[in-house]
Amino acid sequence: MKRVRNLLQAYGTLLALVMIILVFSILRPKSFFTLRNFINISRQISLMVIISIGATMVMSINEFDLSVGTMASLGGVMAAQMAVAGLPLPLCFLLPMLIALVIGWINGWIVARFRVLSFITTLGMSTVLSGLIYRLTGGATVFQNIPRGFSFLGTYKLGEIPLLSLIMVAFVVLFSLIMRHTVLGRRFYAIGGSEETAKVSGINVPLYKNIAFALCALLSCITGMLIASRVGSANTTAGDGYFLSSYAAVFIGCTVSRKGIPNVPGTLVGCAILGILTNGLTMLQMPTYLQDMITGSIIILAVILQKVGRGDAR
Amino acid sequence: MLLETKNVSKSFGGIYALRDICFSLREGEVHGLVGENGAGKSTLIKLLTGVYQMEEGSISFGGSPYLPRTPAAARRAGISVIHQDRTLVPTFTAVENAYLGLPYPRKGAFVDWKSMEKKVQAVSQDAGIELDLHMTAARMSPPQRTCLEIVRALMHDCRLLILDEPTASLTERESETLFEIIGRLKSRGTAILYVSHRLDEIFRLTDRVTVLKNGTLVKTLETASATREDLIRLMADHYTAGGLARAKNTGDELLSCSHLKSRDGTVLDASLSLHAGEILGIFGLGGSGRTELLETLYGLRSADGGEIRLMGEVQPRLSPARSLSRGMALISEDRRGKGMIGNLSVRENVSLSALQDVSRRGIVRKKQETQAVHSMTERLQVRMAGQEQRVLELSGGNQQKVVFARTLLTRPRIFLCDEPTQAVDVMTRSEIHRLLRAEADRGCGVLFVSSDLKEVLEVADRVQIMASGRTWEVLENQDLTTRQVLDLCYREARAKVKSANS
Repeated sequence: MKRVRNLLQAYGTLLALVMIILVFSILRPKSFFTLRNFINISRQISLMVIISIGATMVMSINEFDLSVGTMASLGGVMAAQMAVAGLPLPLCFLLPMLIALVIGWINGWIVARFRVLSFITTLGMSTVLSGLIYRLTGGATVFQNIPRGFSFLGTYKLGEIPLLSLIMVAFVVLFSLIMRHTVLGRRFYAIGGSEETAKVSGINVPLYKNIAFALCALLSCITGMLIASRVGSANTTAGDGYFLSSYAAVFIGCTVSRKGIPNVPGTLVGCAILGILTNGLTMLQMPTYLQDMITGSIIILAVILQKVGRGDAR
Repeated sequence: MLLETKNVSKSFGGIYALRDICFSLREGEVHGLVGENGAGKSTLIKLLTGVYQMEEGSISFGGSPYLPRTPAAARRAGISVIHQDRTLVPTFTAVENAYLGLPYPRKGAFVDWKSMEKKVQAVSQDAGIELDLHMTAARMSPPQRTCLEIVRALMHDCRLLILDEPTASLTERESETLFEIIGRLKSRGTAILYVSHRLDEIFRLTDRVTVLKNGTLVKTLETASATREDLIRLMADHYTAGGLARAKNTGDELLSCSHLKSRDGTVLDASLSLHAGEILGIFGLGGSGRTELLETLYGLRSADGGEIRLMGEVQPRLSPARSLSRGMALISEDRRGKGMIGNLSVRENVSLSALQDVSRRGIVRKKQETQAVHSMTERLQVRMAGQEQRVLELSGGNQQKVVFARTLLTRPRIFLCDEPTQAVDVMTRSEIHRLLRAEADRGCGVLFVSSDLKEVLEVADRVQIMASGRTWEVLENQDLTTRQVLDLCYREARAKVKSANS
């Protein structure tokens, strides 16, 4: 029993991923289990993976950022408007990133300085950002006069492989390394594990909180800009929908780690599970409401299994 | 007799916290309860109020067997307790707090606030307590809160009121008000069990007094016929630690502070001087501010006046990071909260404070890290499945070794140790003592705080007395007895200085 438990704990989530793939492969062998479809899935989940890595950062310090969705929308809107205004394209992408860093830093500063709940702080920030988006756009999608080059990042393909998928892989590798092998990542986890201990150990807790929130906002903004680049326009709420699924991915991701803490490879697995479910269920022509119900149940199941596996369920 | 316990015992993990307690309390008397840290006072209170269940013996209350399963049951039976850490809901008004846990009177489907107010008003008037019924607990002063707690206790038919260090946070004048209330309660026939470190209060208020020591009841005396010296003699063993290694020679001053004050007022006036090569013990009774003093020195708690010098240099601003980089490390008494990170591995915990030393350009060198961690876990003989094991899964003693390993990796010259042997096994305890002595012999300085006076006498070269947020005399630990030290802690003047100044 204990061995089963340990196995569940270590590989349960990965097992679930394999099972899901297996089931769809049996049901739709010709359309699902093809290289083309997997490349397709990798593109479909790429944006969610990047924003979820941002959520992983703040979750690793045991905080929440509810403004990831609106931050993404704002990123897309800013980039598109700058492109319309005729700014050189690299600047159109770099400037919003700078602004995102500042916004994230403010989030972190408020949370660390005044010791308020990040939940509320970022909820407020999210509302502020929505207002800002409305001020910038008047509520209308930005799509006219966007230069053609703007769509390069979101649509270019290297042979068969979309550039977006490659960007995703780069981010996963980079941030996996940061979280695992740098002083920065280790301090994030220390703060997430016990803020008091981190303080006693000489870690400048407020500084690292600022950094985590800034990184999260940065990744959200990048996601938003890539969404805009992919569809060639910036919808004022394009990023909002990513908020819930990104945290679902991080939570599923926690179950991949033996310690039950947020981690980048786990987050990738979480996104893959969610993405493959959507892809496969759509192929089965499952109605959307059923898809939602199944996806939601699987998220809950993953978290329960993790608790049971760790043996700390009551 | 109102309350009688017969051969009551309670043990935790095979160790008796209370043994064969035969204690009796008369109807309507004020009864003092005294004893050193860990003598069993809190355990006895918790047994009487249903927090713990006794294992052996029997209790009778008001003539019938008494065996409360919960604090609520104890309150219904007529025994209420007022703790030093108050248990009020800050955002509730006096009326709401007084009714906590009681059924609310109703008027139809709604709560009948009017009659609640009247009841609380009546109870407080009866006890001679003035209360603003509509003020929230958060806005009340400490004595007002104590009064409110008393009113809450009296809402039930309270026949025995237990007061646990009730004056710990009160000034002298505020204490006077409390004493008056106690007097009135007594004249109404409510019996009171009064627990305090302050012997002058015991002599002033109580009819009889019971002394506990090491979980046993030493004696119950008529207060009128007892002296302060009697009580202290009964409380303390005549214990002298002998034949242990002492500082060979002490060197330069490593750490000193003068008139140090913490912003939250828990440390009021602390001065001390720690030299290379010595272990300086700091002993004080509960609430004396010893933990807070260490945290203030370390920069974890904000200072508000006074001066701290490290190796002779004045430190204008302190933070844990600065302290560590200047060679001062803290081993916190709160191991789970401030010492370790349970869900991370041994490796990640041990290298936490010294990551800089095992990394280059922000990237941790795994090999160097593993080696550094290995050297420490070897030296301290941490028993673990491997460096990747979660600290949570280790035993208490090994967890504490991990905390020490983390600290030692920063190569500190000054150790601030707060209850470093708390909840560790006997073996580890002596290993930790030896380790600290070895570090002192290498030229480090150790501040050693423990609530176990015997341990302090075993380990320390000198002992500094602390009481009421202040440091007092420093004693050479030569033929020093626990009784001498306790005698100084219990000096009547000590308890009062705090009130005179606040």
